[in-house]
Amino acid sequence: MSFNARITMPAEARAGEILEIKVLTRHPMDRGGQSDGRGGTVPRKILNRLTATYAGDQVFRMDMHTGVAANPFVSFTTRAVATGDIVFEWREDGGATYTRTSRLTVT
Amino acid sequence: MSSAISPRSRPSEPGLDRRSVLAGATAGLLVAALPARAATEPSPELAQLIARITEGAVPERARITLDIPALVENGNSVDTRILVESAMTEADHVRWIHLIAEKNPFPDMARFHLGPRAGRAEVATTLRLAASQTVTAVAALSGGGFVMTDADIVVTLSACIDGG
Repeated sequence: MSFNARITMPAEARAGEILEIKVLTRHPMDRGGQSDGRGGTVPRKILNRLTATYAGDQVFRMDMHTGVAANPFVSFTTRAVATGDIVFEWREDGGATYTRTSRLTVT
Repeated sequence: MSSAISPRSRPSEPGLDRRSVLAGATAGLLVAALPARAATEPSPELAQLIARITEGAVPERARITLDIPALVENGNSVDTRILVESAMTEADHVRWIHLIAEKNPFPDMARFHLGPRAGRAEVATTLRLAASQTVTAVAALSGGGFVMTDADIVVTLSACIDGG
């Protein structure tokens, strides 16, 4: 199952408005520890961090552990300050990263 | 006068009748269902988990709301929303919100780092719960204080039941 993300947020907002950003990710969030059938155990492989960067600053970061569900949903808020991209970056166990961007137009 | 089914026709001897037995059993169940600890006093294990993330400080029980269902059908994905009352200004904001499930194999579930640009200290996510337990949310404020709240959750189908 490959990584995928659906980001739901308004495309435009008035300056100063607080908008809610909802992120639904497709990821098994394998907590590890199961038997692999050859005497070993499956290593943990989860998304361990989600960051959101907007207008030069990191506005949100979530550290995830095995207590976060598979296909995690995350919602947070940010204040609209300037037209620009909001960059979402996930970090997976093992070092892989996934990036998505979403454009926000501020009027 | 009184018919055979009227309340007045019940035997008057003070022995155990069906109604008092049922009433007593119900009361017993209610007492058993109440948590053993006092409502505001976390268990020693949980208090230790909280002290570890707050570096010893005792969080205040105020200004934070944990919205999570009391009865969960499926512990693999539990919708959770946390709201902290905060102005979210540079001087007064929530630094982070931490979620603890005391009976999960790894009690620390997630930490949300926020800042003044969040506008509102409100986050939501989906959690995994391994058993019926108390879920605790602790928030760190920019002034150095901590606030917390908790909720007792009954989980019908546990996460992590497949051996592991």
